[in-house]
Amino acid sequence: MTIIFLKNIGRFVFLILFQVLILNNIQFSGYINPYFYIYFILLLPFETPRWLLLLSAFLLGISLDAFTNTLGLNAAACVLMAFVRPFVITAISTGTEFMIGHSPSLKNQGVKWFAYYSIILVLVHHFALFYLEIFRFTEFFQTLLRVLLSSFFTLIIVFIAEYLTYPTKK
Amino acid sequence: MRYLIYFLQKQYIYFLFLALEVISVLLLFNNNDYQNSAVTYVSKGVAGSVLNLSNNVSEYFSLRRVNRILAEDNAKLHSNRSEAFYKADTESFYHNDTLYKLEYRYISAKVINNSTNKRNNFLMLNKGHRQGLENHMGVIMGDRIVGQVVSVSDHFCWVMSLLNKDSRISGKFKKNNQLVNIEWGGGNYQVGAVKEIPKHVVIHKGDTVITSGNSDIFPEGLLIGTIENFTITQEENFNYATIRFSTDFNSLSFVEVLIDILRKEKTDLKNSFKNSEQ
Repeated sequence: MTIIFLKNIGRFVFLILFQVLILNNIQFSGYINPYFYIYFILLLPFETPRWLLLLSAFLLGISLDAFTNTLGLNAAACVLMAFVRPFVITAISTGTEFMIGHSPSLKNQGVKWFAYYSIILVLVHHFALFYLEIFRFTEFFQTLLRVLLSSFFTLIIVFIAEYLTYPTKK
Repeated sequence: MRYLIYFLQKQYIYFLFLALEVISVLLLFNNNDYQNSAVTYVSKGVAGSVLNLSNNVSEYFSLRRVNRILAEDNAKLHSNRSEAFYKADTESFYHNDTLYKLEYRYISAKVINNSTNKRNNFLMLNKGHRQGLENHMGVIMGDRIVGQVVSVSDHFCWVMSLLNKDSRISGKFKKNNQLVNIEWGGGNYQVGAVKEIPKHVVIHKGDTVITSGNSDIFPEGLLIGTIENFTITQEENFNYATIRFSTDFNSLSFVEVLIDILRKEKTDLKNSFKNSEQ
């Protein structure tokens, strides 16, 4: 239990630093900025109580906001994503994939399940984030393009991370 | 009452969700009111020191470019010294010092965090209250504009760069002093939009746009950019153009903060005028 706890705190710190120090400095074009730090919310264990899910998402978002001077922006998007997560899990699970004591992962739940899961949640987060950031409808389609492109790149990084941490069987 | 508690217990997750969302959105849209609250103060300190640490490493990669810019600036300053001028008439170099009064002071600052890929971009500088910085001070690089200070802590400050949806710069055409507004519409960080160009102004590609000096933030004559493209509209009263910024926002490493010494006098005058009107 304590190990899972410490592991998640370590992941929290690492992902925030990775996002702030590396990903936020990458300049693809004006339209692509991946937000890989939400990987933390994707990987929280299944049996995490919902209040803890919401609170840790809020903390994650507000920590990133402190680094980018957008207090509340990432927090709002993360809380929404954490709120939706249990509904998504129950909606796409058939019951056989669900395992107590595990985090959602490519290995345990299979490619198809994990793809649905991450695509839906990443899109929810990015939609909330980009439309809150701009908060006007005059640039609707431009923002939509940013949402889709950025989600695509976030998902690519999520899948790369999943394959890199894929435990090899002996 | 018991039912209410029971109801709250059963549905607490929805209330928690709503509470957190409300807190976030309040923080987001009242950002300016909470600028100096304890939370932002601590977060700025922590974020500032982490970003400062990472910048200590990354600044070495830009040394070559910074050197070149410094050398160029030096050359420019040298050419303005009186020794650089040919003295045609000894009388003509009579220099009356009382004519000049210092209006702006420049403080050099290091950019420790910068972004150009968001819709609203900010820079963090390593100077703050201790160095005399305050909100609404202009930030420039050489003779090019960068943005304005929007929030200050003891050792750091956040600067809203020109690349922000809330940023509107009052500029003018260098050739005929016609006033225009410059904004940034997102996307490419090198290109902005010039709004509300009067119909009678003839626009050419490559026209220089400089600051007008009408706002209290920037003095007159700083470079904003050059006209890249323009559209002549038939129905509306104004023409529009796109502008290529002279500042390379993606490679800022050292900037200067403008401290307007006469600022208080200017705002006092403005306020007294407003009061007398009422």
